[in-house]
Amino acid sequence: MAIQLGIGISTDKNYIAAAKEAASQAAINTHSTKIDLALVYGSIEFSHPGVLKTISSLLGPTHIIGCSTLAFISNQGIFKHGLAVMLFSLPEGVFLNTACVQDISKKSTVNAGEELGKKLLYGFRGVRRDLGVMFSDGLIQDGSGLITGCQEKLGISFPLAGASASDNLSFKKTYLYYNQEIFSDAACGMLWGGKLNFGLGIKHGWKPLGKPRRVTKAKDNMVNEIDGLPAVKIYEEYFAKDIAGLRKDLKHISIFYPIGIYLPGEEEYLLRNISSIKEDGSLVFQGSVPQDCQIRLMIGTKESCLAATEQAAQEVKKGTQGRPLNFIFVFESVSRYLLLGRQAKQELEIIKTQLGADVPLIGIYTYGEQAPLRSINYRGKTYFHNQTVTILGVNA
Amino acid sequence: MVNNEYLINTLGFVSMVIIISLATVIAWKMQRLRQLQSVIDKLRKSLDEMDEQAKLIVRTDMELNKTQEELDKKVTSLYALQGLSRAISTTLEEGQIFKRIDAGYLEDIGFEKAFAFLWNERGKKFLPCLNIGFEEEALESAVNLGQESYINLIANEKTLSSISMDKLSRDKTNQSYKINSFVIAPILPKEGDKGFLFVATENADTLITEGDEELLTILANQLGQALENARLFEKTWRAQQGLEDRVKERTHELTLALEEVKKVSKRKTDFISSVSHELRTPLTSIKGYASILLAGKLGKLEPQAQERLDKINRHSDELVHLVNDLLDISRIEAGKMIMKQEQQNLKNIAGQAVDLLSGQLKEKLIELTLDIPADADRVFVDQSQIERVFINIIGNAIKFTPQKGKITIRARKVDNAAQVDIADTGCGIPPEAQEAIFEEFYRVDNPINQQVRGTGLGLTLVKYIIEAHKGKIWVKSGPGQGSTFSFILPSSS
Repeated sequence: MAIQLGIGISTDKNYIAAAKEAASQAAINTHSTKIDLALVYGSIEFSHPGVLKTISSLLGPTHIIGCSTLAFISNQGIFKHGLAVMLFSLPEGVFLNTACVQDISKKSTVNAGEELGKKLLYGFRGVRRDLGVMFSDGLIQDGSGLITGCQEKLGISFPLAGASASDNLSFKKTYLYYNQEIFSDAACGMLWGGKLNFGLGIKHGWKPLGKPRRVTKAKDNMVNEIDGLPAVKIYEEYFAKDIAGLRKDLKHISIFYPIGIYLPGEEEYLLRNISSIKEDGSLVFQGSVPQDCQIRLMIGTKESCLAATEQAAQEVKKGTQGRPLNFIFVFESVSRYLLLGRQAKQELEIIKTQLGADVPLIGIYTYGEQAPLRSINYRGKTYFHNQTVTILGVNA
Repeated sequence: MVNNEYLINTLGFVSMVIIISLATVIAWKMQRLRQLQSVIDKLRKSLDEMDEQAKLIVRTDMELNKTQEELDKKVTSLYALQGLSRAISTTLEEGQIFKRIDAGYLEDIGFEKAFAFLWNERGKKFLPCLNIGFEEEALESAVNLGQESYINLIANEKTLSSISMDKLSRDKTNQSYKINSFVIAPILPKEGDKGFLFVATENADTLITEGDEELLTILANQLGQALENARLFEKTWRAQQGLEDRVKERTHELTLALEEVKKVSKRKTDFISSVSHELRTPLTSIKGYASILLAGKLGKLEPQAQERLDKINRHSDELVHLVNDLLDISRIEAGKMIMKQEQQNLKNIAGQAVDLLSGQLKEKLIELTLDIPADADRVFVDQSQIERVFINIIGNAIKFTPQKGKITIRARKVDNAAQVDIADTGCGIPPEAQEAIFEEFYRVDNPINQQVRGTGLGLTLVKYIIEAHKGKIWVKSGPGQGSTFSFILPSSS
């Protein structure tokens, strides 16, 4: 018997009414009374414990996991305000565990990642582990550390995909949903096992521009020097702006012109958005940038973005060897939403065209994506990405 | 020695060749290196040039992106404005207008917060009608604390924003409402309370433009228009409702009055009926005794007594006639008199009536014409009652037609009925009396009526009899032009 699932959506302004509507709709669509997992995505005004408590009271004891998002994506379209609930009823032989780690800022991100990995593994002894999916606070400075820690426990080559929660672009607070509570400064994840086939596609479509440069001084997600000069110099030169000018336009510059780390063997550069500029000219990125790596300034267009989406969907098809998909998760950078503007819906249409318009699809806009690199050189290690569309298609 | 010298020379030569060769190779290599260096320099230069071009591309791209973003924002805003206009213009309830402002639409215009207030003249304060994203209680007091500035805004009919306000006012507004940018547009319906729409964002990146001011002015104008329409509708609706209430009230009053009239009428009919019955018995006795006395059965009478008895007898006849008419009217009114309708010959009925009145006709030398064609001859009526109709109308005609006048009786078929017209060349009836002559006891005020006695019941009885036959009666007349009484009778065909 295949996995049974159903999606429910509500845009009711009352969050309790919305929770009831979305959960009931999803339960009806699931055609099963045994619910094993509720995946919940909500816009920032729906990020309230009452929502999760309502869903829990309607469904009974079940795993609830999810996060806040700028907008959620479903087969029906992109919704900026509302609540989406996807319910799963798992067949025999498919296993699932969820876990959550809080107060990340009080520990190192690597330690927090390890704690999450350890909790996820609990109860999975003797069962084939297939896939990990992770959600983290989108405002955590170093998203890469969480992955590193988690993979320490789950295995370096263990497939791990995920997303950083987002808010309404105010960059003030993002939320993780776990069972009946909501958290910030936290990460949660789910570990799937049993007989799961999946395909993962990750692409961004940004192209390198200008001459290659070398990171000459860096630690974790902070780059101090590029080609022996203060890191900010690269942006000052390209945009003909001083630090104050760059800071003023930072959100725009960060989204449209990230830096790309050259990865031998990979088709695309690994992108990094700037999150802040330090007074000494150091640049702080959302993910780690290794010292001595070669970087380029990147530029993206709507066309290249949409072409990348098509390529990512095709990679999913390759991964599942054309088997019919049961469901699709989409983790898509908020940058793409801003770059594509009114054309954002086209991206969803491309995914539906490539992978099937009727396959239940649910997705979010993220402040960072997590997915493994394809090249053998990286042994399937998961990296923190920016600007990508990450599509996970599952056949169970 | 020779050999050694030879060897030295040879070695020297070879060394020289080697040195020359090495020098040549080094020179060649040096040249090659210089060439390579030159190529590298060229490449580096190209790369630098390319980088310079990249800088130009990036800067141009950034400008393009910004323009595209603005364009996107404008298009989205226009769509949102269209959506908002549609939403607010599809309601005629004032209370619903502001509820139709969806946060999603405002967000598309670039503002996630909004409020609107309308001035309440009676309470001398602004009352809230929209709040998206602000604290309810704090908002009302904040607005009313600064009400003077909003009153001025409404009076000046001018939209203000964070770009058109002076820095002091702008910072004060931003601080009061914890926002970063805003636009305030007056809502100006032609009648009733005016107000303002305040939209704002906390987002420090949002730059307010003149376009935003224009857009919000349009939205506020549409809100004003919607308020105007709703108020006009409310007014019209209330007026209509009032009118409907009044009509209902009047109808009720009229129904009550009609009931009362019916009751009075019934009481009158009952009274007339009982009085008439009571009168008929003594009248019969009076008439009987008068007849006995007149016949001389109780002895011969003195001529003076004879004259008085003749008067008693004549007046008694008139009274009997009056009482009979009254009784008939009351019977018909009470539905007690049943018309014995049968196939009859109209010509015969009219003829019999004419025969009865022939003495009077001759006396006044009146020429009477009777014209009843065969197709109108057959009627379905109560013969005796219709004869009374003819007698009454022809009798009246004789009464009011001068000597040597003319009376014409004509009939014709009209659909399934027969219309009878009885025309005379009499003094005619004034227009104001033409309806009233069919009412009980009504007598036209003219010299003839003053001389000739009458009950004023004849035409009333005629009308009742015709109506009891489901027919109708009317008169056409004018003073000095004679009168034509027409009535419809059911045809037997």
